[in-house]
Amino acid sequence: MQLKMNPLLVIFISSLFYLFQFQVVNARSLTGSNTLVLYDDRLIDLDDYSKFFESLKDRSFQLQFQDLSSKQSQLDSNWIEKYNNLIIFPIKGKHINRQLSVDSLLNFYENKIGNILTMTTPDGVPDSVRLFLNQLGIYPSPKGQALTDYFQASSSSSSSSNLVIPSSNLALTNNYIYQDYNEQFQFGSRVSVAILDNRDLIIPVLRSTRTSFDKGPMKTSWSNGSQNYLIVSFQNLQNNRLSWIGSIEFLNDSNFDMESNESLIKELTKWTFNEKSIVKIASLGHAHSNGISYDDLKYKVNDEIIFNLTLTEWDDHQQKWTPFLADDIQLELKQVDPYYRLNLKKDEMVVFNDNVSGQLYSTGPFKLPTRHGVFTFSVEYERSGLSFFKVEDVKSIRHLANDEYPRSWEITNAWVYLTSIYSVIGAWIIFIITFLTTSSSSPSSSSVASASAPTVVTTTTTTKVEKKVTKKLTSGSKVTETK
Amino acid sequence: MSIFGAAVSARLFSVIRFESIIHEFDPWFNFRATKYLINNSFYDFLNWFDDRTWYPLGRVTGGTLYPGLMTTSALIWHTLRKIGLPIDIRNICVLFAPAFSGVTAIATYYLTKEIKDSSAGVLAAAFIAIVPGYISRSVAGAYDNEAIAITLLMVTFMFWIKGQKTGSILYSSFAALFYFYMVSAWGGYVFITNLIPFHIFLLILMGRFTSKLYVAYNTWFIIGTVASMQIPFVGFLPIRSNDHMAALGVFGLLQIVALGDFVKSKLPPRKFKIVMIVSLLIILAIGIAGLFLLTYMGLIAPWTGRFYSLWDTSYAKIHIPIIASVSEHQPVAWPAFFFDTHFLIWLFPAGVFLLFMDLKDEHVFIIAYSVLCSYFAGVMVRLMLTLTPVICITAAVALSKVFDVYLDFSSAIDPQRRNLTSLLSRLIVSGTFIFYLYLFVFHCTWVTQTAYSSPSVVLPSTSPDGSMALIDDFREAYYWLRMNTDEDAKVAAWWDYGYQIGGMADRTTLVDNNTWNNTHIAIVGKAMASPEEKAYEILKEHDVDYVLVIFGGLIGFGGDDLNKFLWMIRISEGIWPDEIKERDFFTPEGEYRVDSRASKTMKESIMYKMSFKDFPILFNGGQAVDKVRQQAISLEDVGTLDYFDEVFTSENWMVRIYQLKEDDPEGRSLKEVGDFERAKGKLTKKRKITKPDLTLRV
Repeated sequence: MQLKMNPLLVIFISSLFYLFQFQVVNARSLTGSNTLVLYDDRLIDLDDYSKFFESLKDRSFQLQFQDLSSKQSQLDSNWIEKYNNLIIFPIKGKHINRQLSVDSLLNFYENKIGNILTMTTPDGVPDSVRLFLNQLGIYPSPKGQALTDYFQASSSSSSSSNLVIPSSNLALTNNYIYQDYNEQFQFGSRVSVAILDNRDLIIPVLRSTRTSFDKGPMKTSWSNGSQNYLIVSFQNLQNNRLSWIGSIEFLNDSNFDMESNESLIKELTKWTFNEKSIVKIASLGHAHSNGISYDDLKYKVNDEIIFNLTLTEWDDHQQKWTPFLADDIQLELKQVDPYYRLNLKKDEMVVFNDNVSGQLYSTGPFKLPTRHGVFTFSVEYERSGLSFFKVEDVKSIRHLANDEYPRSWEITNAWVYLTSIYSVIGAWIIFIITFLTTSSSSPSSSSVASASAPTVVTTTTTTKVEKKVTKKLTSGSKVTETK
Repeated sequence: MSIFGAAVSARLFSVIRFESIIHEFDPWFNFRATKYLINNSFYDFLNWFDDRTWYPLGRVTGGTLYPGLMTTSALIWHTLRKIGLPIDIRNICVLFAPAFSGVTAIATYYLTKEIKDSSAGVLAAAFIAIVPGYISRSVAGAYDNEAIAITLLMVTFMFWIKGQKTGSILYSSFAALFYFYMVSAWGGYVFITNLIPFHIFLLILMGRFTSKLYVAYNTWFIIGTVASMQIPFVGFLPIRSNDHMAALGVFGLLQIVALGDFVKSKLPPRKFKIVMIVSLLIILAIGIAGLFLLTYMGLIAPWTGRFYSLWDTSYAKIHIPIIASVSEHQPVAWPAFFFDTHFLIWLFPAGVFLLFMDLKDEHVFIIAYSVLCSYFAGVMVRLMLTLTPVICITAAVALSKVFDVYLDFSSAIDPQRRNLTSLLSRLIVSGTFIFYLYLFVFHCTWVTQTAYSSPSVVLPSTSPDGSMALIDDFREAYYWLRMNTDEDAKVAAWWDYGYQIGGMADRTTLVDNNTWNNTHIAIVGKAMASPEEKAYEILKEHDVDYVLVIFGGLIGFGGDDLNKFLWMIRISEGIWPDEIKERDFFTPEGEYRVDSRASKTMKESIMYKMSFKDFPILFNGGQAVDKVRQQAISLEDVGTLDYFDEVFTSENWMVRIYQLKEDDPEGRSLKEVGDFERAKGKLTKKRKITKPDLTLRV
């Protein structure tokens, strides 16, 4: 069976057992836990973020820190291959473009399993990161532009500069990333914002307040109101994830103590580093409804077949693969355009082993279309926040062979024609018999039978006409037999 | 026997000059089908559903081909294996046409013998054996339906002439059987279907109705029609399609005439006249009304497009560009007649005239054949092939008549009637004709060697030092496809190359030379004529992985895709007149240009971009001259190609293969990706950051 699969899926399946053995005890990220942290020690002091790093280390991440403040510092030449995750703190200066180019970022994000968590602040918006984010449709505000909210500054008693965002500003439409909704988030004083384009791959997480805007050296503000985003996530078609946060104070130890900040940061990093909201196909197949596979007997039009799919989801609390439940998964049977869109119905739960169990989805028996041709069985499930999966299986559906049509006598309509054919044949045989018998007995007709008699030229033609008629009739029956 | 030998050997030039390879386009499909047949059972072949062509429609190949050719060669293959001669199927296919042309020569001999005598027969056989008009379609490697069809045509006609001469049911049945064989081998069987009734019709008009005719025609028609309906591709056409109506009509007419004959013998002449006139009128009225009614109700298929274009040469150009786009369907240029038949072409009318002098029943047949065919050959190059045999026959008749008179030296030997002037004239005349014959042989050999032996897969050319060089770009590219692409990769190319890609590269194609689905071809045409984004969308929809274009600009290969481009545009314009407009591809002055003055639509089309991508760079960015169109292309003319990756370009740039890029993982359009890649260097240097122009995020 030739399956066109998402590369990520292939990796998933091939590394399935690897994952079961190690991921559970050791690392929790499903795609690897080697993490590179890039920072600029002119802008941050790592000690202020110890709690954040501690929480990552608790979840088995191996963190490698690299200071990029000076022009001399170099990244490993093979950092793209070496690390699975990347955390980029704000970095000042142009030299970053050389050390960490847009190309290498895109390459890291596109070509292998590479997840990125990045932050920008009004003090540091590295060009390469900015341009890279722009390519994803995320436009962080340029250097110097800081978010301000006069309404909040006046009302907030504790600190005029500390921006507090209520959780009602969460822009999430589902709970794949975060689900507690009753808190406030502390963002600190130096906050960047981003505006977004309307790409479907973007998952806006947190909006700014309606009364906020940014101010700085630019003549007009970068954006204002609820078009300002403070936290944005992104998942590309290869299921690599990225999150951008418009503040670093959001992560620092004093704010990390706040339960709200901590839970959001934890969930966000879990999501970004592939610890949750991951669905994969455990098994997939289709066959004739009586169980015979396609390889043994190719499909033909109107055959009844079944399509099955087993899905499992990674549960980060239980640390194992559990059945994935959804009601909106569809099978498309398409030839350029979909012929069928069938809802996959939940069937039984399948247990593969202690750590893996899946939910079987099935179309139930359904009839293939009456059109022959090459069809694609495809299941494509792309929900914002959940890892995407798409499988395609191209199979041909042949036409009926010449002997697979119903025989003429099975069609009641054809009885009329069959009767007429055989009655004419019968009548003709009777006619011949009577003709021959009468001609031999009576002397008058003997002259008619002797075709060579020169006196009756016309009769020769008539006998020949009859001969032709015979042929015509027999041939007529041939036609119907071979139909 | 020696004629057989000559016929075969003349056709082996191609093997000697090139190699044992299948030629051109259609033969590649026949070859592939034959391979399928010998690897599977006949039943499988009959119900073959080919999912590797016409993706994603697939082709019900078993039901849409004429199986005669493949079955015959599979039969030969099996027979040879049985007697202990296992031969590669490819060699059988390559040598199939020469072998059968030998048979044609024999059949022509017997046919002409029926027309005149055995001396004319020998001449006719000799002519058909080496005449270029026939060789053009039957050189070694031309494994096409025509290779066997002309043989069957001649055999059928031979048996028909015998049958109608003698009124023998046996011969007519043979004619019918070979007619069936012909139906199973070539769509041109319709020619026989119409010619034989036409012959009968003429004879009836001439008052030559005899019971012999009646027997021969009825036997042939009934057995032939019923047998022909057994071919899946033909099916019920013989009773539904208008192309076959003439045969049916004559069949009916013959019954009426026979009845009339009978009535005439029973009634006094005066009464008979009244009966005849009344019944004739009634029959005519009913017949015409019936025909109109049935056609109107759609019970009888309307005349096919190819048929219309037989009468009105501009019909196809206006209404069915797909038919007109085939070079085989173009009208013949007059020199082609001479080129293909040499001095036979002027012996041909003389022969027809001589037949008129005799005008026996069988002569009427040949005359009808020659008149019909001359017209049709003038309309379509392809039909030159059916004209050639009759040219050979009539020319042989004329020449043998000449030789009968002038090669008869009996009077010269006889001392009593010795006459110097008559001897001299005989010598001169026969000498001249023998010289012509010599010239003819010479011409035929030359034409065969130079013009018709090229497989068109491999192109001959001369290298700068004058030695012969072979341009093997096609096979290079197809081999690349075979070795470097996924087995299920879908290749979009113009339909001309469909069979070759299927046969040589073994990859799935969207369209091929079996042009059964005009819309699907138009889709490929539309993609080629559209700007990148649109083309990408169309191609992606059809799961295309690679796009293959033929570009002859570097070495001056005139049959490249840019020259066929107008047909692509026309065909897709026929389906989407709102989106593709032929006018847009011309300059405001109405010229078809590819240089800097080319229209914007032209320059934006992927066909243009794919053909000329990096072409000027080959000339160091200067003016690159397209040798086919004799126009200079500069670097600015050729736009960027963001949606396709060039993956292969053959040695002489004749075949260029592009791969469709994957969707961008970040959801950008590939144009944006391309713009970004180009602007990247500048972006990091830019000081000022401008706010992007975005719509509100909702």
